[in-house]
Amino acid sequence: MTKAEMVFGEVTAQRKVASVPLSHLSIELGHLYREDLAAEEITGYGRRLGHHFKSIRPWVDALRHGFTDIRPGRAPRISTCFLVDDYFGEFSTPAELIPALVTAADSVGLQIDYLARESGCADADGVPLAALVESRLVDDPPPDTTGTRPPARETGWLSNGQRTPGSTEALSVVSGWAAPTENGARNHSIFVDVEMWNEQDGRRVWSCPFLAAVWQLLRLGLLRNLGEPVAVPAQLALADLPTSWAELPVVSQLTPRPAPFSAYRTASVLASRFLPVELAVRTILSQVHVDPDADQQVMTRSGAEAVTLPAEVVDRVSYVFLS
Amino acid sequence: MLAIGEIRTGLVQNSTSVPANLTVRALALLPGELVRSSERPIAYAVSPDRLTGLDCRLATPTRVRTRGVGTAVSRAAITGGRVLQASTHTVLVAAGSDRRLPWAHYLARPGIIEVAGRARFADLADGYLGPPQPATLDLAALNERILDDIVVRPELDRRPPFRVARTTLRWVAEIADEPPGARVRGAPAPAEDEPEAQFWLASGTLRTARLSLPASQLSTVVELCEDLALHDWLLTTVTGLIERSRPDAAATSAASTAAVARMRPAVDHLLHLWMPAARVDRRLLPLWESLERRPGFTRQWNVSVNRIRDQIAVTTVGLLGVVAEGVARA
Repeated sequence: MTKAEMVFGEVTAQRKVASVPLSHLSIELGHLYREDLAAEEITGYGRRLGHHFKSIRPWVDALRHGFTDIRPGRAPRISTCFLVDDYFGEFSTPAELIPALVTAADSVGLQIDYLARESGCADADGVPLAALVESRLVDDPPPDTTGTRPPARETGWLSNGQRTPGSTEALSVVSGWAAPTENGARNHSIFVDVEMWNEQDGRRVWSCPFLAAVWQLLRLGLLRNLGEPVAVPAQLALADLPTSWAELPVVSQLTPRPAPFSAYRTASVLASRFLPVELAVRTILSQVHVDPDADQQVMTRSGAEAVTLPAEVVDRVSYVFLS
Repeated sequence: MLAIGEIRTGLVQNSTSVPANLTVRALALLPGELVRSSERPIAYAVSPDRLTGLDCRLATPTRVRTRGVGTAVSRAAITGGRVLQASTHTVLVAAGSDRRLPWAHYLARPGIIEVAGRARFADLADGYLGPPQPATLDLAALNERILDDIVVRPELDRRPPFRVARTTLRWVAEIADEPPGARVRGAPAPAEDEPEAQFWLASGTLRTARLSLPASQLSTVVELCEDLALHDWLLTTVTGLIERSRPDAAATSAASTAAVARMRPAVDHLLHLWMPAARVDRRLLPLWESLERRPGFTRQWNVSVNRIRDQIAVTTVGLLGVVAEGVARA
């Protein structure tokens, strides 16, 4: 017996999540604090920045050549990026810094494909990216978390385990000190407690690690707002740079035809002093439940290219730490 | 594999049926996330999924030691602008190792709890449906929290037209594993064609359901159970309203009119919501059909609806008689 059946569907009943272009690898060409650049006012940007790019160049080459997770005979799509720290106060100007960055990178044969503003990781043209990521946190549960009580949150903090008893419960009777513990520790704990944000002058100020976690998720192409891509790169004309960072797109494209900004994997070449920040970033990323449809798009497309990706988002993020 | 879940069903705390646009706003529990909604065959909207991390013992009849680590998925839905449901579920699978893995591992597998220990899935099903055991997985609390979050939404005025109890459906679905290629050509098909369902009224407001289905239908079982819970609540509420209005005890036409007035919320707010299996995947329709045979939801619903309509008709005839008498006298 054959049955004629009509399929009824309504558009709004389906979850629609737009996809974004994806490279194989996104390489971050180091990071500098605002102070590092402020000091340059005396000696000029050129020398310090030149030294920075020169020191990371061999490792960027190693990342490019070491990328073998691709079908033979195909060239990998690799894009480079640089994040400017404009969130914690104004400094320099795009018109002053960007040409200096581009020239310094160019002097050692590196190209910056995309330049991003750190303040855009907090708020991308009206989309509160950091707050969206915070709302997607699923706390790493300590043993005996049955669901009966909501997660023990210390406002603005995120940990990888159980805090010292009494630190979260003001009324608890503290009978001596007990060590904080890491969930799923291997024999001994490495307890991490990350400040995600605090209040300054009545305003929420996101921490550097939290913004860096948002930055990683942007680079992994996993952030959406109401199903739409966020902080889409916009072409920037180097001849006509604004004097204020806020006038710059969140992600600016600096080279004519780069590989896509977001990628299956990210790699960052960083000075070792950023290691604690990145430990905090990984603590946060391990607890973000990314948009399942956006993640499925990434998995499907990488699979179609025979690229193997770990299911765990945090494991798609890698580093080279330099002294 | 074993899917388990709990659904709480009740009246939306609002004086009128909530319009579609407000329903969508009331269910926007996760910023930046879409609320899915549809208008046909009945207005329906569902919140984005909320994930909760869990690491705890699971109930078993023998209290054998088990540890489950993973996440449960919770969501809220509003049907017909009138019925609010909170629904939480998770899928229990055997853990690959006794060690707890980094949390990113579990978050990459949302809605799954990996269970270590010696318990069999049948024990876990019995334990979950059985009497509550302290310090074990508590899906009910997750539903309570999501309902608490909806109740305070500014889109709802918290003035319901009548008061009725919430019902709870606790369900388990045993999933027959079908490893690819395991079926021999010509061999009888496994449970694929015959999903099974059992449904019990465990107490005044608690119901339990036990289903078994093939793995391919796992994604649709939550919607089936939500639909089941919705219609059980409608039936429970309407029969409750009939009982409370006591039409059979109405001796005079005034008492009869009062009884009809007491049934009126059912007519105004609930009768049009009966639409079994409207959103259920058609592969699971046999489950609905088996529940229609026993306990026979629609049969009982029709009896109730007819009872209300008969009462209204009888009362109307009575009132017409009174009016006619008055006219004749005048």
